[in-house]
Amino acid sequence: MANSTTAKVKVDPRDAKLSMAHFFVAFSALALGGLMGLLQTLVRSGKWELPWGIDYYQILTVHGVLMGLVLTTFFIMGFQYAAVSRTTGGHSNAARRTGWIGFWIMLVGTLMAATMVLLKEASVLYTFYAPLKAHWIFYLGLTFVIVGSWIDGAAQIMTYAKWRKNNPGQPSPLLSFMAVINTVMWIIATLGVAATVLFQLLPWSLGLVDTVDVLVSRTLFWYFGHPLVYFWLLPAYMCWYAIIPKIIGGKIFSDSLARLSFILFLLFSIPVGFHHQLTEPGIDPAWKFLQVILTFMVIIPSLMTAFSLFATFERYGRSKGATGLFGWFKVLPWGDARFTVPFIGMASFIPAGAGGIINASNQMDQVVHNTIWVTGHFHLTAATSVVLTFFGISYWLVPHLTGRKLTKAMNKLGIIQAWVWFIGMAFMSGAMHFQGLLGGPRRSAFSTYGGSKQAAEWIPYQIAQAVGGTILFIGIILVIIIFINLAFFAPKGEEEFPVAVAENLEEKAPMVFENWKLWLGIAAALILFAYTIPFIDIIQNAPPGSKGFQTWSKW
Amino acid sequence: MAKAELKTNQKTEIENSSSLKGTLASVFLLGAFIVVTWVSVYYLFVERF
Repeated sequence: MANSTTAKVKVDPRDAKLSMAHFFVAFSALALGGLMGLLQTLVRSGKWELPWGIDYYQILTVHGVLMGLVLTTFFIMGFQYAAVSRTTGGHSNAARRTGWIGFWIMLVGTLMAATMVLLKEASVLYTFYAPLKAHWIFYLGLTFVIVGSWIDGAAQIMTYAKWRKNNPGQPSPLLSFMAVINTVMWIIATLGVAATVLFQLLPWSLGLVDTVDVLVSRTLFWYFGHPLVYFWLLPAYMCWYAIIPKIIGGKIFSDSLARLSFILFLLFSIPVGFHHQLTEPGIDPAWKFLQVILTFMVIIPSLMTAFSLFATFERYGRSKGATGLFGWFKVLPWGDARFTVPFIGMASFIPAGAGGIINASNQMDQVVHNTIWVTGHFHLTAATSVVLTFFGISYWLVPHLTGRKLTKAMNKLGIIQAWVWFIGMAFMSGAMHFQGLLGGPRRSAFSTYGGSKQAAEWIPYQIAQAVGGTILFIGIILVIIIFINLAFFAPKGEEEFPVAVAENLEEKAPMVFENWKLWLGIAAALILFAYTIPFIDIIQNAPPGSKGFQTWSKW
Repeated sequence: MAKAELKTNQKTEIENSSSLKGTLASVFLLGAFIVVTWVSVYYLFVERF
């Protein structure tokens, strides 16, 4: 295998420390959030109740916030920070300080929000939809998380900008470019959730105003909520496009194609929030239709990615002498956890993506909306494709950062972990999809609904989910064992940070891809086009605001 | 002469190492899977609404 000269390049130890700080928070969130997930599936089986007055909606909130917001944001920021450091030659002291400030603000915010959830002051689920009203400290904590992530992301942008300045006329390193695209998308997207929290939810929860405009807050939430899922996904794509080819000993199919697909994600993942609000009254159907079209545009870069990955694998396989239509599939390095674990994630994205196209289709949304199908969907996208890729990344990145080695035993355990996860998720997410098609609701503590006949049909699926949830919890225990081993106990050594190179090095990426004025301009134009008129309409024709509700039991 | 040479040329089956046939087949399979799942749920919609 062609080891490039950069194989021994290491992330600066000072940068490694900050990345590891992120990972400690992320994996702590995984452990606790995973336990909550197990409890949820057990409650929903209808056979078991939570002790000591613990409320289903409280553990649902803990699970959603920890897994969807804390695990993901901390892991992504830690990974991207390391990727930028590795491919640009390291962060400056100023960027590093900025990163640490962002990290601590995020952590303080997380602890504030978590405290309120534990005190039963904020069982508002991770979407925190108004008119469910949480304690103001919960909203302030979330504000800190978001502002902290902006500062954290600014560190990556600073280092990228410095690299561009020092290398005029050169396309930036692919991984840094991708990290910055994702950070920029995140900053644009979080403006929406920051607006609803600062201007609506905080004043309302502080008692400064009595009512809240529910549709405005939900619209601002989903302006953020859809790009949020791409914020989770793009770091996985970074691994698939730019790291996996190196691990298997192949090449990136096309550097330019990878960059173009990331730009398309930046453009098309934001002006699409209405597809989460298709069943909501108060939004003109014409604008819903427009945003559904824009949603379908996101399929293009997704399929470009699928093509590019298949091509990378096939080229590598044929270079190893594989023949026939699918002979290349067999020669892939299935014994390497760094490949196999993310690969299971990639494969899971096929049903996950297909389900997403169903969700975004207006008519079909009426079949699945607010059913547990949707929960099944994002447990395939986020909780399989994305997190398995994150696990796969951590199996080489954690030892790389801590100066240790991924041992054979841990490599094997990593592969076992991924299969355990896959099997557990096949049970749980599969049962969620089918139960959803039969009408089973999501976000509901009830299972039997007072002995309803229809609800009785859902029980076998609920039990399958409890079985799947239990298997997944074993998967969480395994991944925590591996993480602790790689962080503290694995033998000292050097683990490679794999960075792939493109097949055709003469094909330099067009510099127009780095023209931020152009792409940010188009992104802003699309957002304004998709949102301005319907948003004015929503505000002008608003019903009376709603007072707050706390529907959950208190301590 | 040239014509005769052309005639004697044998067809040789060489699988090009840069072939992307498998990729083509894979993306078609992927597309077919998306269409089948979409149509299945669309059928449910038509049945129910």
